[in-house]
Amino acid sequence: MAVPQRSSGSRFTLAILLLTSVTLISLDARGYEPLANLRKATTAIIEPFRNIASTIFDPIADAWESLSEGDTLEKENALLREQLSELLEYRVTTEGAVEELAALRTQLDLENLGGQETIVAEITARSVSNFDPYMIEIGKGTQNGIREGMAVVSVGGLIGRIEDPGLRSSRVRLITDPNVNVGVLAVGTNEIGILSGGGVGQPLKVSDGIPVSTDVEIGSIMVTSGSERSPYPGGFAVGTILEIIVDEINLEKELVVAPTGQLENLEFVTVVLYQPVTSDSGGG
Amino acid sequence: MTFFRLVKAGAVLIVLLILQLELFASIRFFGVMPEIMLGVAVASGWHGGPTDGAIMGFASGFLVDLYLASPMGLSALTYALIGYLLGIISELIAEDVERIVRTVISLVGIVLGLVTFVLFGELIAEPNLYNKNFGKILVVGGLYTGLFIPLLHFLMEWVFHQGNYRNNQIAMTRVQRN
Repeated sequence: MAVPQRSSGSRFTLAILLLTSVTLISLDARGYEPLANLRKATTAIIEPFRNIASTIFDPIADAWESLSEGDTLEKENALLREQLSELLEYRVTTEGAVEELAALRTQLDLENLGGQETIVAEITARSVSNFDPYMIEIGKGTQNGIREGMAVVSVGGLIGRIEDPGLRSSRVRLITDPNVNVGVLAVGTNEIGILSGGGVGQPLKVSDGIPVSTDVEIGSIMVTSGSERSPYPGGFAVGTILEIIVDEINLEKELVVAPTGQLENLEFVTVVLYQPVTSDSGGG
Repeated sequence: MTFFRLVKAGAVLIVLLILQLELFASIRFFGVMPEIMLGVAVASGWHGGPTDGAIMGFASGFLVDLYLASPMGLSALTYALIGYLLGIISELIAEDVERIVRTVISLVGIVLGLVTFVLFGELIAEPNLYNKNFGKILVVGGLYTGLFIPLLHFLMEWVFHQGNYRNNQIAMTRVQRN
């Protein structure tokens, strides 16, 4: 078979494109501001077309969801009924815990959640990638006062933080992402641990910071620590302890935590317009 | 690439990007969505050759990068390579090859694109792209995107060849007149 001669032009074009890509990756990794602005500007231009398309395609997507998740919804319904009956039995105990939580908040000088300014935002898109299922998009952005790193809550507690806010839309990085770290403490203790995501459908984990001597129980509520360097205000429920694993080498307790915030079938979320005094916090 | 082709290519890219974001991101099989923009890189490589394939791949990857949390340029890098590679393969294969062969090669191109994306991501910038769902994404994502391969080839044929076909027709008519 005769192999056609490729011109050096196509190789040169490829080399230029690859070089451009690598430069983009490098600049993006360094947080180069003009590149972020370019991303925001381009998405802002495409946004109106997306809105029109969304109006057209949303009913189709909804129909597909109801078709494909019929079984899942039935199972979820049965599970929820089961959980509801367990919760009703548990109610008497938790009533005491709520009072305890309020008292501890005062004791630990945690800020009152009700005092924080919040904004409700509609979820405009789920993850648009097969490789990053920990992202959702909301229809509010910097013009509504949303800033990078702000806490996002749903029914039950913290579910994520703002990432890359645009003018009219923002991305929310969910706490189930293994790269997300949140400083938490169990209600009734002072020890701050680092909670990280465990992946889609997996529980969260607190693998650092809880000494063996700390008195934590299964079912205890984990809340955001609200420590000085934390981007989140203190006292937000994050999860309940499912399992306690004692690490005898490091003399620490590893906690397996079920998120309390609703992460599935969300339509709206609340963004807490809180910014810590120090903006250089990494995650805790 | 002529100006007219550029306009057609831009329009196709924008429409497919919006479809990917607003429709296909919600219509998932086993939690996996089709990789339409990667399909564009594959089909444009096939119809446009290595140079245009690489350019279209870069453009489609760049548009996808705008909406991903992974570093900007990662998809552009991968898709440009895949577009170029498919361009080379199409040059080696007879033009009138059976459609089934074209579809199979395109499917392989898509799977290769997904693997390359994760590989580059892991090597260069994003350490968490490879996860336990990777196999599922390869199989379901590849097959799901495969459903749109004929449409994507049709669109890229329109972008890259319709002008030539028309010009040829015009030229042939002129010859017949003379």
